[in-house]
Amino acid sequence: MADNQKKGNAFTNNPIVKAVGTQKIVVVLVLIILLAFFSAASSAFRQYSTILSIMDYTYYLAFLGIGVTFCLITGGVDLSIGTGLVCYGLIGGYLITHNNIPVIVGILVTLLVGVLMGTVNGLIVSLGGLPPFLATLCTMMIARGLGSLATSGLSVNWPPTAAENGWARMLFKIEVGGVKLPIGFIWVLLFAVIMSIVLNKTKPGRYIIAIGSNKEATRLSGVNVVKYQTLAYVFSGFFTGLAAIAYANTFQALAPGTGAGMELNAIGGAIIGGTSMSGGMGSIAGTILGVFIMSVLQTGLPNIGLQANYQQIIIGMVLILAVLVDVFKNKKLA
Amino acid sequence: MGEVILTMKGIDKSFPGVHALDHVDLEIRKGEVHALMGENGAGKSTLMKVLTGIYSKDEGTITYEGKEVTFSNPREAQAAGVVIVHQELNMMGHLTVAQNIFIGREIMSGGIIDDKKMNEEARKLFDKLNIDIDPTETMSRLTVGKQQMCEIAKAISHDAKVIIFDEPSAALTEAEIEELFKIIRDLREKQLGIVYISHRMDEIKVITDRVTVMRDGGYVGTLITKDCTKDDIINMMVGRVIYEDPKTESTVPKDAPVVLRVEHLNAGKMVKDVSFELHKGEILGFSGLMGAGRTETARALFGADPKESGDVYVNGEKVEIKTPQDAVRCGIGYLSEDRKRFGIVVDKTVAENSTMASLERFMKGIFINKKKEDQVSQEYVEALKTKTPGVDQLVVNLSGGNQQKVVIAKWLVRNCDILIFDEPTRGIDVGAKSEIYHLMNQLVAEGKSIIMISSEMTEILRMSDRIIVMCEGRKTGELGIEEATQERIMHAATLRN
Amino acid sequence: MEKIRNNAVVKKIGFNRLVLCGILLLMYILFAILSPTFLSYSRILSALNYAYFLGFLSLGVTFVIATGGIDFSIGPVMFCAALVSGQLLTKNEWPLIPCLVVSILVGTLFGVINGVLVAYGGLPSFITSMASMMISKGLGSVFTKTQSVSWPQASEANGWYRNLIRLKIGGIQVPTGLVILIVAAIICAIVLNKTRIGRYILCIGSNREAVRLSGVNVKKWEMLAYIICGMLAGVAAIFFVGAYSTVQPGLGDTYNNEAIAGCVMGGTSMSGGLASIGGTLIGVMIIALLQEGILAMGFQKDYQYVLTGVIVLVAVYADIRSRRRRN
Repeated sequence: MADNQKKGNAFTNNPIVKAVGTQKIVVVLVLIILLAFFSAASSAFRQYSTILSIMDYTYYLAFLGIGVTFCLITGGVDLSIGTGLVCYGLIGGYLITHNNIPVIVGILVTLLVGVLMGTVNGLIVSLGGLPPFLATLCTMMIARGLGSLATSGLSVNWPPTAAENGWARMLFKIEVGGVKLPIGFIWVLLFAVIMSIVLNKTKPGRYIIAIGSNKEATRLSGVNVVKYQTLAYVFSGFFTGLAAIAYANTFQALAPGTGAGMELNAIGGAIIGGTSMSGGMGSIAGTILGVFIMSVLQTGLPNIGLQANYQQIIIGMVLILAVLVDVFKNKKLA
Repeated sequence: MGEVILTMKGIDKSFPGVHALDHVDLEIRKGEVHALMGENGAGKSTLMKVLTGIYSKDEGTITYEGKEVTFSNPREAQAAGVVIVHQELNMMGHLTVAQNIFIGREIMSGGIIDDKKMNEEARKLFDKLNIDIDPTETMSRLTVGKQQMCEIAKAISHDAKVIIFDEPSAALTEAEIEELFKIIRDLREKQLGIVYISHRMDEIKVITDRVTVMRDGGYVGTLITKDCTKDDIINMMVGRVIYEDPKTESTVPKDAPVVLRVEHLNAGKMVKDVSFELHKGEILGFSGLMGAGRTETARALFGADPKESGDVYVNGEKVEIKTPQDAVRCGIGYLSEDRKRFGIVVDKTVAENSTMASLERFMKGIFINKKKEDQVSQEYVEALKTKTPGVDQLVVNLSGGNQQKVVIAKWLVRNCDILIFDEPTRGIDVGAKSEIYHLMNQLVAEGKSIIMISSEMTEILRMSDRIIVMCEGRKTGELGIEEATQERIMHAATLRN
Repeated sequence: MEKIRNNAVVKKIGFNRLVLCGILLLMYILFAILSPTFLSYSRILSALNYAYFLGFLSLGVTFVIATGGIDFSIGPVMFCAALVSGQLLTKNEWPLIPCLVVSILVGTLFGVINGVLVAYGGLPSFITSMASMMISKGLGSVFTKTQSVSWPQASEANGWYRNLIRLKIGGIQVPTGLVILIVAAIICAIVLNKTRIGRYILCIGSNREAVRLSGVNVKKWEMLAYIICGMLAGVAAIFFVGAYSTVQPGLGDTYNNEAIAGCVMGGTSMSGGLASIGGTLIGVMIIALLQEGILAMGFQKDYQYVLTGVIVLVAVYADIRSRRRRN
C-alpha cells in the first residue's frame, strides 16, 4: 500500500505540519518576518494605530478573499469583486444618504445587489460556458459603469460614527475609554469559521471542491454542477457585498470608477494562502492569512517611505511570486 | 445464467450525418457476464450511453425488470440499478477515496457531512470486495489501478443490478486484472447482470458467458462464449477473415549499423536504468503491461519529459537531448499514443500539420512558401494513401487512421530516420490498421528505423524484429523475434524485482 | 441564407466580417438619426482618434489571444509608455525621436516580461498580465512622481509627431493615422498568415503540446506573441498622445477591455487558434463609433463600460456556441 503512494520528506510528513499545511506555516513565518521588518525599519509602524490600520485593510480584503476562494476552488476566478465592492457600496450608501432609507435596509440592499451580481456571474459561467476570467471581466466593467450611473457619478459617504445612524461603523471599530478597538475582526473570524464549515463539511462545499477537481466526473456522479458552480459565484457576490459594507464603514468615501485592483489583492491573498489557481484545493484559513500579508504590506510600505505607486509595483510582484509558487507546487503534485 | 433482466430491442439513434445505431438488440440475463464487442466506432459506447440516459433513443424499447423504461439521465439509471464504470477515470483527485465513492449521496448528520461514517462504510465495502485501499487517502495519491478499483467499488455500492464495464482493464496491471476478474465472478455469483466491453480477446474468453457483436452501428449476432473461437468473433466484427500471422524471422542483417544507442536512461519513477540499441532498418518492439514505463521511456528519450541521467548516441555520436527540438534535430520523430492531444493540431489543415516539424524548409525569405508546402504535402498524401479531399482539409474531418498518416507524413517531411511509434494503431479500425503495418514495413525497407511501443501482443509479434520487454520502469527482457512467444514476453513483463 | 453564405465573394471576405460591416453601417446611421451633429466630418475624425490607439492595442492583443492567452496589461502599459517617454520629452528635454523609440521600448519591455512569465514560467496569462498591469501603473506614477504629462501640441516645438495622426493639406484635415493603422493591420495580417511566427502562434493556440512535440520551440514563439503585443502597445501610446496629448498616471485599464472587445467581435476566438486581423480592425471601428456616438448623444462614458462588457459577453458566447455546434 505505502509504496503506491507519493512520499514527502520528514518535515512535510510531521503530523502537525500535515494537519496545518506546509504553506500556511510558511505564510505565518513570512508574516512574522514582515511584521518584524516593518517594526524595525519604522518607528511609526510600532504604534497602536498601525494595528487599527492593518485591521481596516483586513476586513474588506478578508471578505473578498473568502468569497473568491470558492470561485478559485471551482477552478474559476471572480474579477468583478473589486469594482463590484464599490458598486454595491455606492448603491446601498446612496439609498441611505440620498433616499433616507434605514441603514439596516441599506445593508440588506448592498448584500442583495451583491448576491444578484454573483448569480449573474455564476449563470454566465455555468450555463453560458464562458471562461470565468472573461465573464467576470465583463461584469467588472459593467459593475464599474452601473455604480457610477446609480449615483450619477457622485461619491458616497456612508454615515459617520458620530451621526445618528452611524451604528454600522461601530460594527467594526468602537471606542472604549478613549481606546479604539478593532472589533470587526470578530465578524471576519465568525464568517471565516462558518465558511470553513461550509467548505469542508457540507454538500455545497464538497461539490465545489469536486467541480474544481474534475467537473465532468462530478456531473456524471449525478451532482447538479450548474447549481453548485453558480453557488460559488453567489458566495463571492454575497461576500463582496459584506466587503462593501466593511469598506464603506471603515474608510471615508466610495468613489465611482474605483475598485479595480482590489480583486488582485484578494486573489493574491487567497493564492498566498494555498488556494490553487487550477482548482480543487483551497482553505479559508489560508486565505485569511494571505490577505493579512496583503494588509500588512499596504500598511507597512508607506511607513518605510514607499507610497501607493510603489505599493502597486510590489503587490504586482507579490502576485506573480504567489502564482509562480502555485504553478511550481502543482507541477510537483502531478 | 438466470432470467432476463434487461432487454434492448430495435434501438435506433442518428446524429447529424451519422446513423450511429441501426436497430440494435441486446439481452442481459441475471448472473451472466455479457461481452459487447466491435471495432472502434461500431456503436458499443453509443448503445451504452442510450441505455444509461446520456443519449436519448430515436426508436426501440428498453425493458428492465419486466417494465419498459426510459432513463433520461445517468442519475435515474443509477437509481434504478443500472450503473456504468467508465473507461476514462472519473475521480476527483483532490478528494479522499471515501468522499469520491459517496459523491452525490453523502451521508449526512444534522446538515453536516459525516465523513467518519462514510469512511467506515467505504472500508466495509472494500472488505467485502477484498480490496486493500485506505478510504481516507487522497485519490490522486493512488496508483491508476487502485483508482480504477475505487471506481468499481463506487459502482457496486449503488446497489447495482446491471453493471457496465467500459474497457475496465485498459489501465490495469496483470495482477489487478486478476483482482478485477475475481470481483466480477463474485458479482456474477450474486446474480447481477454484467456488460463487459473490451478489445482484449483473451479476456473475453476467460471472463464472459456470451458475446454480442456489433458492426457499423448494427447488431451482428450473439454467441455463447465457450462455443465459439476467437476467429468466429473476429469474423463477425470485421465481416472478413484477417490474418494475424506472427513474423518468424528478422529481416535485419546481423551487421546492420546501430543508429540509436541508449545507455542507463533514468527519468522519474517510470524509467529506471533502461539501455538498448536500435539497428538500421529494424522495428524494435517495446512490449509490457500498461504502466510498464514504455511511453515514459520514449518521452524521456525524445526530450518531451526531463530525464535524470543516461546517454544517447545517434549513429555512434553522443547527443544531448533535452527538448523535442534537440531530438528532431537528431532525426528522431515521435508519434504519440494520444494523437489528438499530442500528435495533430485538429483544427488546422493537412498541409499545415504535415510541415509542422520542418517549416523552416518551406520559407521563401520571411514568408511561408504555400505552393511548395501544398505540393510536398500532396506528395505525402499520395505516398501514404491518406484519404482526404485535399491538403487544405482540416485534420479534424479525417478518420483516426488518416490522422495517423498525417502525423507520419509530418515526420517523413522532416526526413527523420528514427521513428518512435507509440501505440500506432490505437483507435484505428482494422482495415486502416493493416495499412499502417504495411507502411511501417515499407519505411524500414527504405532504411528507416522504428521503435514500436504496443500493448497488443499480436501487433508486437507480427511487426517486431526484436522485442524489448519492460516492467515497472525496468527493461526485463530482450528477445529476438525467432525466440519470442507470448508466454516468454508475458513472463518478462511480469518480472518484478 | 445558406445561399448568401456560400457565395464565392462572401466566402472570400468572410460572412461574419460582412455582418460586422453591416453593423458598423447601421450604427452610423442610427447615431446620425439620433444626433444631428453626428454627420459632421469632425465627428468622424474624433471617432478615428479613438480608433487609432485602440486599433494598435487590439492588433497586438490579437496575437496573444491567438495563442490562447490574454493580455490585460496593454492599456496601462500604453499609459506607462506615454508617461515615461513624455516625461523624458517634456521634463528632461530629450529630442522627439528617441522619446518615440523609448515609448515603443517600454511597451516591448512589458511584452517581454509577460511573455517570459507566461511562456517560460508557465503562469496563467490573465493573472500575469494583471500583475504587470499593476506594475506598469506603479512604474508610470513613480517615474512622473504622480504628475500627469502633456505632450506638445501640433503648433509647438516637437509637435510634428501629430502629423502621424492628422495632416492638414490645403485646409483639409487628412486622417493620416487611418492610413498608418491600415498599413499596420496589413503587416499584422501578413505576419499572422504568411510567416512562421503567425503559423506557430495559431498552431500553439490550437494545440500547444502537439506543436512542442513536433520539435518546435513553442516557448519562444509564444513569448514573441506577447512581445508583439507589448510593442504595439508602445506604438499605441504615440497615437494616444497624438490624439489626446495628456496622460495621467494610474489609469488605462478600461482600454484593455475595449481592445479585447474589438478582437473578439472581429471573430478572434478566445480559446485560441483562430484569429482575424481584418475582423479586429472592424471590431475596433465599431467600438470607436460606439464611444463617439455615446458622447454625441450626451450620455456618460459609464454607459460605454456597461455596453462594452455586454458586447464581449455576447461575442464570446457566440464564439463558444459556434464551436460547440461544430464539434
